[in-house]
Amino acid sequence: MPRKILLVDDEAGFTELLKMNLERSGAFEVRIENDSTKAVAAAREFSPDAILLDVVMPEMDGGDVQAQLQANPLLARIPVVMLTALVDSTELSEGAVAQAGTQMVLPKPVNLPLLLRVLDEIAPAA
Amino acid sequence: MEEHSIVESVLDNLPVALFAKDATDDFRFILWNKKQEEVTTIRAEKALGKNDYHLFSQESADYFRSVDKAVIKRGSLMKVPEEIIETKNGREVHLRTVKIPVHDKESGRLLVVGISEDITEQVKSREQLERLNRHLVQANQELQQTQMQLIQAEKLESIGRLAAGVAHEVKNPLALLLLGVDYLSQGIEPDDPNVEKILQQMRDAVERADRIVRGLVDFSSQRSLSREPTQLSRVIDEVLLLVKHELTRSNTKVNVRIEKDLPLVFLDMSKFEQVLINLIINAVHAMAGVESKLIKIRARSESLEEVVKNQGARKREVFRSGDRVVILEIIDNGHGIAPSDANRLFDPFFTTKATGVGTGLGLSVARRIVELHGGELTLENREKDPGAVARLILPTKLETAKVRTVTGRVKTEETPKEIDTGPSDLTS
Ligand SMILES: Nc1ncnc2c1ncn2[C@@H]1O[C@H](COP(=O)(O)OP(=O)(O)O)[C@@H](O)[C@H]1O
Ligand SMILES: [Mg+2]
Repeated sequence: MPRKILLVDDEAGFTELLKMNLERSGAFEVRIENDSTKAVAAAREFSPDAILLDVVMPEMDGGDVQAQLQANPLLARIPVVMLTALVDSTELSEGAVAQAGTQMVLPKPVNLPLLLRVLDEIAPAA
Repeated sequence: MEEHSIVESVLDNLPVALFAKDATDDFRFILWNKKQEEVTTIRAEKALGKNDYHLFSQESADYFRSVDKAVIKRGSLMKVPEEIIETKNGREVHLRTVKIPVHDKESGRLLVVGISEDITEQVKSREQLERLNRHLVQANQELQQTQMQLIQAEKLESIGRLAAGVAHEVKNPLALLLLGVDYLSQGIEPDDPNVEKILQQMRDAVERADRIVRGLVDFSSQRSLSREPTQLSRVIDEVLLLVKHELTRSNTKVNVRIEKDLPLVFLDMSKFEQVLINLIINAVHAMAGVESKLIKIRARSESLEEVVKNQGARKREVFRSGDRVVILEIIDNGHGIAPSDANRLFDPFFTTKATGVGTGLGLSVARRIVELHGGELTLENREKDPGAVARLILPTKLETAKVRTVTGRVKTEETPKEIDTGPSDLTS
């Protein structure tokens, strides 16, 4: 059974290509959510094995989404990987990422082999 | 003889120097009045019976002789607006001279009669005036140069602040490209429907990154003011691209409404982007802590009568009645302007922001740039709703782009290459 990944990022092109890459091997089933305000609802509905979450998004940033996931006992256990194109690493420590206590932060552009390793680790195949 | 002495005393009391030379006798002087003595510091006894070569330097004498000969040849009066003679004590005397050829029928002699006015003082004050004027022009130029440098310095400051956001915006298309490369490099099935989509995405990504980078480079360019007929919507698009990250991060919505068929405005793109970036970033700052942050950008055109009615009569100084102007407003719903700050907003270095956030130069530089465009920039609280509105009034014709220069004169801005109407008076 493919592992389920929820991908939350406001960049439609990026999410589409990442989905194609992840689904190619048949190991993953990816659901895209480009609107971060709907991310929590999508998580509830889809119950993914892992969530890939962009940091800088309009309306609700990655930190806010993460906090809402944490607040929900059903969703808090889902591992989250933050993806960020922030250029300055100090922004990470100051910003939403640090507060939310994310397990994993990967920089954008995403290194695909690294992302696959990370996913194997936090959401291993059954 | 009594008659003779009357003539003599008249001649000697004339306020102008008078002399006469006998062209038929080697141009020897036969008349030399008192004033001529004063001007030349040569006494009549010494001068009479001598010619220019006896009294002046070779060079001066050559010059006087050539004029005398020309007068005789022409047979009519000649004016020498300014000539200089050097006296024995080394003083330079400036003269305005009229030379008249006179044919004395009785004696058959041909005379050159000269009347000279000492204009040394006039020349001196004129030279002084010219010197002063040159200083003034230079000071004016330096001031304008300094202002351009200040504008550029402020721009570098904004670029520094925007750079991280712009880099972020470039990283997004890069991320997309890398994913495309990852996909394609794993070998592709001939009938894979994704390939076409991926290639299109990659193409778009390259174009997007290119546009952002080019936008920043254009914005950074340090050229002197050069205005071209420009669509305001284009400038707004470019600016929104540069501040996109700032807007996303602060969760600020932007709503742009531009009147259909808005006339072109004469803009220096890069300088004008600087103005809009300053105003938008100010608006973002002013909305810190506000629930739903919204910047409204509105552009419309009006004729001057409406402007005067709406914005007060002082616009009359800048625009002519009947002019069509473009009004651009940047409206925010932030905390607005405190009454005690209202008069100081445009002062250089006035800021209510923490060091590192604000320099206090943004508005003063923005206003200067708008004035260089022949326009006006104001910042006021909104009438009913909370927040502030920055209002720009811009001329749509170059002829009306009046600028108050440092000397207080009203000058017309330079004409851009494409347009061949209106005076081409450069103000830089
Ligand atoms: N949209 C606005 N709303 C309220 N106050 C503003 C606005 N724009 C500017 N100001 C005030 O004007 C001051 C000067 O602005 P500016 O010259 O751009 O310098 P800076 O932004 O570096 O402080 C700001 O510090 C702020 O107090
Ligand atoms: Mg400012």
